[in-house]
Amino acid sequence: MSARYGMVIDVDRCTGCGSCMMACAAENNVPALPQATARTGLTPLLVRKVSDGNHDESRREAFIPIMCMHCEHDTPCVKVCPQQAVEVDEATGIVMQMPQRCLGCRYCMTACPYHARYFNWWDPAWPPGMQKSLNPGVAVRMRGVVEKCNLCHARLHSAKEKAAGAGKREIDPADYVPACVEACPTNAIHFGDLANANDPVAKEAHSAQAFRLLARLGTEPKLYYKSNEAWVRALAEPNSPQASEVQRG
Amino acid sequence: MWKWVASDAINEGGAMKVTRRDLLAWSAGAAAGLLATPVPWKVLDDVSIWSQNWPWIPQPARGPVEVKQSFCTLCPKGCGLRVRMAAGWAVGVAGSSTHPISRGALCPLAFAAHQLNWHPQRLRSVCHGSNRSTWADAQAAFAHASKEGPLVVIDGYPGRAASSVLESFAEKQGGSYRVFAPAELRALASYERWTGIPAASLGYDLENANTVISFGAPLLDGWGTPGRFTRLWAERAAGMRDPQLRLIQIDSSLSRTAARAWQWVEIREGSESALASGLAGALHEQNLVPAHSPVPSMTLAESAAQTGMSVERIRELARLVVAKTPALVIARDDDPAVAALNVLLGSLGKRGGIVRHSEQVKPYVAAESVIGSARAVLIDASVPWDFVPQTNAEIFRFAAWDGGGTKADWLLPAPGFLEDLTDLPTAPGCSALTYGVAPALVKATSEVQSAAQFLCSLDGSLPTTAKIIDSRCQDLFRRREGSVYAQEIFEMAKFTSVQTFKEQLLKGAVWAGEPTASPEFHCSLKEWPTRTRAVAAESWATEWRAPVMPPLASKLYQESGLRESPSRRNA
Repeated sequence: MSARYGMVIDVDRCTGCGSCMMACAAENNVPALPQATARTGLTPLLVRKVSDGNHDESRREAFIPIMCMHCEHDTPCVKVCPQQAVEVDEATGIVMQMPQRCLGCRYCMTACPYHARYFNWWDPAWPPGMQKSLNPGVAVRMRGVVEKCNLCHARLHSAKEKAAGAGKREIDPADYVPACVEACPTNAIHFGDLANANDPVAKEAHSAQAFRLLARLGTEPKLYYKSNEAWVRALAEPNSPQASEVQRG
Repeated sequence: MWKWVASDAINEGGAMKVTRRDLLAWSAGAAAGLLATPVPWKVLDDVSIWSQNWPWIPQPARGPVEVKQSFCTLCPKGCGLRVRMAAGWAVGVAGSSTHPISRGALCPLAFAAHQLNWHPQRLRSVCHGSNRSTWADAQAAFAHASKEGPLVVIDGYPGRAASSVLESFAEKQGGSYRVFAPAELRALASYERWTGIPAASLGYDLENANTVISFGAPLLDGWGTPGRFTRLWAERAAGMRDPQLRLIQIDSSLSRTAARAWQWVEIREGSESALASGLAGALHEQNLVPAHSPVPSMTLAESAAQTGMSVERIRELARLVVAKTPALVIARDDDPAVAALNVLLGSLGKRGGIVRHSEQVKPYVAAESVIGSARAVLIDASVPWDFVPQTNAEIFRFAAWDGGGTKADWLLPAPGFLEDLTDLPTAPGCSALTYGVAPALVKATSEVQSAAQFLCSLDGSLPTTAKIIDSRCQDLFRRREGSVYAQEIFEMAKFTSVQTFKEQLLKGAVWAGEPTASPEFHCSLKEWPTRTRAVAAESWATEWRAPVMPPLASKLYQESGLRESPSRRNA
């Protein structure tokens, strides 16, 4: 039976420290180039700051990690890719990006409603010797291709190899934990199989506090957020009055 | 002999004559026809692939992958690490969930700390002024200077085995050993003055507090051991309307901690001491604290005027402070008025307050930037880079990275991240004693020496760091107190030999003692402190003050707007 990996991010627990961003970049050998800016940089996971719009002591702020939502239905990036470089993995539900096939046309970036895709403008480069500190499980992507979160697919491979080595078909869930989930100091990011009704994450995704960004588009994103704050939940739809006050970090 | 001449063939008949126009037409037709074949598209595709896969595209290290436990040594917090190693190099860092204090959490910089050893500003050779020099020259110069006159040794991470070497050397030379303490330790200095108990042996019992009032301390942004309070807050406060742990953040701006606190109290910048005095006055006014405790001379109205708050808001805050006890007040830095609030609330030596974890820690002399008469100053690599002593003495500065703009006469390359054997004493502000040992996991990429190694090579009678660690392990083993946190938690009584205990520590286990609320915790504070000190909200990014940042930190500063860049902040 196929899995549907997804996440529930507890926005009330996020302190916006950025550990998830750093762990993601280090795990996936994302280069940090001196010429990169907020427009041209590579941040497969980006923490955005939002506020309730108040300007006095009652003002509240929250932090929302944004990454590929791994849309299940009519996945926009899959539909527009002329190279078949993007596909939804049937076994896992992960939206996979294949840099070897990518032409760099960036249609997918335009189509993505979450702006969760990034273009590799430059050859990846590190200071001399620093390539020895790269993760050997992940190949460095070349210039001219689009990148995004793939739920640390290399870790899924390792978990599968370990299971196969032990003569098992199913992986141990403890062996497959994306880097951002592992790094979060407040355990705000929960990862699991949404197709498994017994998985705590699947239960959490159906709680009253859970919401998805732009759910009305019908793309069935597999990233859920949750919050006890009504103004945070209102951010799910950009046309709501609260969301119009959002200040992006 | 037959000879083919083109002009002959062309001139044989008018129909066969090829003009320049024919040639151009043929070429255009061929070009148009070629477009109908896959050739140009295939060539275009191949060119794009070839140009994307230049041989100099970086290739990760190859080799067997293993995971080792260790500790972060970038700052004195000593968080537990799981280090992924490939071909002898560190290729990934994650938090170790078995560490009893950090509990698997790290600050953002630690995730890219393994890249720091390859930083372009890594100090790889001895520098004398602007010239390259040798270790032999540096040793000769230091030996000469330390014989000529008084020596000052400055340490930024006291309590290590290496610190003992530094202190012993300074004592033998008749010099002085001083400590540049982190903010968490400086914030405890007032209690040292009032109780006589060294600040380094005091800690905050956060785990048992029900209300925490932070005067600008970035509790959710790297204060203390980063994982300690954030984990507690996530479990007992995050998202709750009436949390078990109430965090009241007093800040002049909506900092990260203020944004996630149960309540944010906005005050004017630098008016923390005035608010502390106002709160003390409001507590007395409403009979919420014992009448015999110190009373501030500042009135509520004066406090309100200075802080920008209303008198009624200060009274309301005073009621909130005592509504759910134990209540613990935390200052960002040394602020006697804020510290005195804990005396008023009876939080000294109590569960959920300020506790003493050891009776063996010695007080230290704080390092000031103005150094009196000295012939030589030796600065350990653990001292923040921007600590520049004002002195005419010859400065010997150890550092793993060159942050630029130094006034040191000698820059001496120190071991980088995980390149040196070191031990990790209790982190500042912890309520329980801990001890860990970080082995040298990776080989140094250049010829480096720690300050302790440097001094041991000058004076053979000094014990080495390894020997001191060995004797400390023996002491802990003999005392048979506390527990060892590895994959499981072992009581000390279960260890049959010091070797097995030390082996566990070298594999990344942590020894932890029990917190002690000392009954003899006597406080001599009789009058409300008048000295005030302005504090400003800071975070780990300003507190660590490393000479360089890991390149990946640009994800936070440059490639996103999540944090303000250090260069912009300092500008």
